[in-house]
Amino acid sequence: MALRASWLKVPWRRADPRSRDPYWDFFINTPPADRANTVLEVIRQAPEGNVFPTRADLHSPEVTVSHVKEMARYLGADLVGITRLDEDDAGHPFAVVCAVRADHDPREAPGIGGQVPVQNGLFVTFVLSAWIRELGYRASTTASVDGARLAVAAKLGTLDPTGKLVTAEYGTRVHVADVIRTDLPLTAA
Amino acid sequence: MCSMAVTPAATPGTETPTPPYLGRSVRIVGPVANVDMNQTPHPKNSRGELGKALFNWYRNTISRDPLTRVSAPNHFADQRNFLASVVNQAPKGKINSRQIPVSDPGAMTRHIKAVAHHMGADVVTVARAHPSFLYAASTPPSGARDVYQNRSGDVYQGRTPAQMTERYPYIIVATTAWDYEKLQAHRHYIGDAAYHVSQMKAQLILKALEGYIKELGYAALRGMSNPQAAGLASGVGELGRNALLIHRKFGARIHMPDPIMTDLPLVPDQPVDNGVEDFCKICRKCAINCPTNSVPFGDKVVFNGVEKYKINWLTCYKVRPYMDAHWGSCLTCATVCPFTKPNVWWRSLTVWALSTCPIPARPLLVRALKAIDDRFWGTTRQTRVRWLGYDSGIKPGEQACTVAGCTAEHGTAHAAEPVGNLGYYAPLKENTNRFVKRDA
Repeated sequence: MALRASWLKVPWRRADPRSRDPYWDFFINTPPADRANTVLEVIRQAPEGNVFPTRADLHSPEVTVSHVKEMARYLGADLVGITRLDEDDAGHPFAVVCAVRADHDPREAPGIGGQVPVQNGLFVTFVLSAWIRELGYRASTTASVDGARLAVAAKLGTLDPTGKLVTAEYGTRVHVADVIRTDLPLTAA
Repeated sequence: MCSMAVTPAATPGTETPTPPYLGRSVRIVGPVANVDMNQTPHPKNSRGELGKALFNWYRNTISRDPLTRVSAPNHFADQRNFLASVVNQAPKGKINSRQIPVSDPGAMTRHIKAVAHHMGADVVTVARAHPSFLYAASTPPSGARDVYQNRSGDVYQGRTPAQMTERYPYIIVATTAWDYEKLQAHRHYIGDAAYHVSQMKAQLILKALEGYIKELGYAALRGMSNPQAAGLASGVGELGRNALLIHRKFGARIHMPDPIMTDLPLVPDQPVDNGVEDFCKICRKCAINCPTNSVPFGDKVVFNGVEKYKINWLTCYKVRPYMDAHWGSCLTCATVCPFTKPNVWWRSLTVWALSTCPIPARPLLVRALKAIDDRFWGTTRQTRVRWLGYDSGIKPGEQACTVAGCTAEHGTAHAAEPVGNLGYYAPLKENTNRFVKRDA
């Protein structure tokens, strides 16, 4: 196990108990035999709810930004950023990009355990976008939008040569959740 | 445990062989009839048996609060914006035909606990299943397994609880705790958010865990067991005076969602002694603060063969429609409980001291701890919490913006006079005391 940069961490600290878990590799790396045993598909394919007909009484855009970020963190996002969208088919001016810490890259770990960051990300984006819709503004989540590029635009980090997001807090061990595109009055970072 | 000789219960198939040990807080003293899920409060209400006000509150009310509309069951404007409905109505996956062999149940138990913690659960325990934990399985003539609103149409219908526990001997209780700081603004949308968001998260984790157990090649059944019974048997906590499980680390602020019944080989946990039994005998803080006088001041009673503190669930439930415009979940008994504290070292030290103290000496320690709790946390919790645009210091219904730095036009303008640093607490108790008699 690699040494942590922080000098407070002693190098001979106990090994991760997961390394002695005979089933941990199955959990992380074996793709599910039945896709219905994961919650990812069902959340991704769930239809989008209505926008609440009465708009909520909002504060100024700066305050709304702080509320959106606070809410995303409360729902479990580790990093949140907001960026302006230049071209968007539906005319959403802003994108809310959430990222969660990922011990394993979900693209390389197809097991239910490897996909836990995706699950956590979906929890954040589903509830956050539903909340924005209930505030009376449009919000939709899309997996197709290039999340890493928008995450860089939202100042969450930079891209490495392979196109992965690198952040100051978690390095590349981060998963960019589905991007929420919205017309909630916000300001870009 | 002298009088626990079991006589055959009224309904066939509901006899309990040997009463399980559930810790010091709850004792099985007689025959236990399995609980019929359809006779529990929410299903009763959804059939309209609790009156119009409650029925309409439950089925026909849209919350005024946007966050409640996405997080609370039954108060959404559009169900598609409520994650738990998506998760709970998802199709069930198949059990993997390639079963993972389990040579060491201890290692598998550690694995399942690590998996649940990895997914975000705060508490994971394993109970040995007992027929009395299961919901009623025998309503003649169909013999159907009754789960919530009879929505189970699975192959297990018609089996008796004893057959089920023999075939699926373990119950995995995995759950989340709700946020301590936000809970301080209970009886407010902030406390509701703490409660409902962590509840949704727990439902997501349980659904994912259920799927993972099926991927291991074992059965994972939901809607089978009473969560509190399984929680007591597996040492999640002890049952308090407020009829909530009180956990060693989180106190009463843990959810008890539908646990998973499985045939995965595991090692069951044992009931715990955290000193809740001794504390509840003396404290009565929840009973004093309960706005509807639903929590008993008196001793334990025997109900359905179980000796425990029995709350009046009906009066607890009936306050909800009247408070609907201001908040959804009361949570007073969970908040004022002295065990409900942030999960920090001094709380761990105190619970450790209490649970290692010899039982005869505990009342003295409890009185001292209760005095400290009253002195520093107050006999009634009135902390002011500000979160997002919410402020628990403002009387519900008053539209005053107290958000720092806000320059937006709000119609009724910003709060004119400074409101003190206390949370606003509706004077419910005073109103209730006028017409509800306490039991002791």
